[in-house]
Amino acid sequence: MGEVIVITSGKGGVGKTTATANIGAGLAMRGYKVALVDADIGLRNLDVVLGLENRIVYDLVDVAHGHCRLKQALIKDKRFEGLYLLPAAQTKDKTAVKPEQMKEICLQLKEEFDFVIIDCPAGIEQGFRNAIAGAEKAIVITTPEVSAVRDADRVIGLLEAAELREPKLVVNRLRPRMVRQGDMMTIEDIIDILAVDLLGVIPEDEQIIVTTNRGDTVVLMDRSRSGEAFRNITRRILGEPVPLMELERDGHFFARLRRIMGLG
Amino acid sequence: MALEPGQITVGSRVIKPEDDQTVLVERTLRSGQSVFYAGNVVILGDVNPGAQVTATGDVIVVGSLRGTVHAGAGGNEKAMVVAFRFEPTQLRIASHIARPPEGMISTGQPEVARIKDGLVTIEAYLATGERQAGGAKVTRKLAGARIENGG
Repeated sequence: MGEVIVITSGKGGVGKTTATANIGAGLAMRGYKVALVDADIGLRNLDVVLGLENRIVYDLVDVAHGHCRLKQALIKDKRFEGLYLLPAAQTKDKTAVKPEQMKEICLQLKEEFDFVIIDCPAGIEQGFRNAIAGAEKAIVITTPEVSAVRDADRVIGLLEAAELREPKLVVNRLRPRMVRQGDMMTIEDIIDILAVDLLGVIPEDEQIIVTTNRGDTVVLMDRSRSGEAFRNITRRILGEPVPLMELERDGHFFARLRRIMGLG
Repeated sequence: MALEPGQITVGSRVIKPEDDQTVLVERTLRSGQSVFYAGNVVILGDVNPGAQVTATGDVIVVGSLRGTVHAGAGGNEKAMVVAFRFEPTQLRIASHIARPPEGMISTGQPEVARIKDGLVTIEAYLATGERQAGGAKVTRKLAGARIENGG
């Protein structure tokens, strides 16, 4: 029996879809069978980010309404053995699926997969209700901005009300230098308000933009900082204790030089 | 709003109070969550920005107060608000509405807000206040605005 995890944030544009793709790819990379579910009906993106858009025949709504079997709608990823996508419908809206139908689909999926990861739409309306209906665990994504943290707080409250207790937090797009200069919220500031466990911190990285535009994932790239952050998150999901990586490791040439020369 | 004595709601849920005077809320109130109570409210947790607490009596927050609190909602000018960390978005006592001055930083110490000389005033909360006659007393005045009842 697999585990159903929903990735949510409240606010849009903080990185839910990117995180879903990379965490899913990270788990598949480690040999697990992973199903990614795009619950953003009407504004589907996960297929594009994974570069699988042109392979869609059936979608989530077709499965929910019994127009096809679940297996027919699942699209196999082109890079990772064991990674599958259940795409959202683009021509329908959030009301096309009911929470009970989502629950049923999640139940079916977790019989076959080790992990079922649901990409939740922004907002807290029916799309959110659908996305969390079948989930057993939740990952909340935020960026170091007061508006995103406020929305994350609201969402954590709603998750707790829906019996999804102890969600894990991922802070995305952190800029260590801005934090050091006091121009950006620190991880401590965010944890102080949200009071939940931290699953990982992803530094701002141009590679994310490059890879997502290409329909690729950053988690594969050995030398990418954000890729390393996603690999660490994957390992923490699997239960390994991984310390937070040092975000400013590459920041200072002279500091590094001193360290190499044994002076640092 | 109409508050029936002894009735409490947390979010959309109606909770039966353990006694009709003071209710304990053993959780953190997150953005969008609210508590209404005809009596006193003690919150064992934080009140986050975007959360709201309304009580006809006193409100005590055993944690950080960052959201909006309305004490003495029925018009009780003697009501007070106590918090371990005091940095509310907005503070209402009876018919007074106040907001902290721009850039106000919490002292990190327990503080109490109440109406003094027609102004919402925040002071350090001293459990032994009455006896500490010689102690230094720091008083911070808030930009206060009085609203008309029912207006």
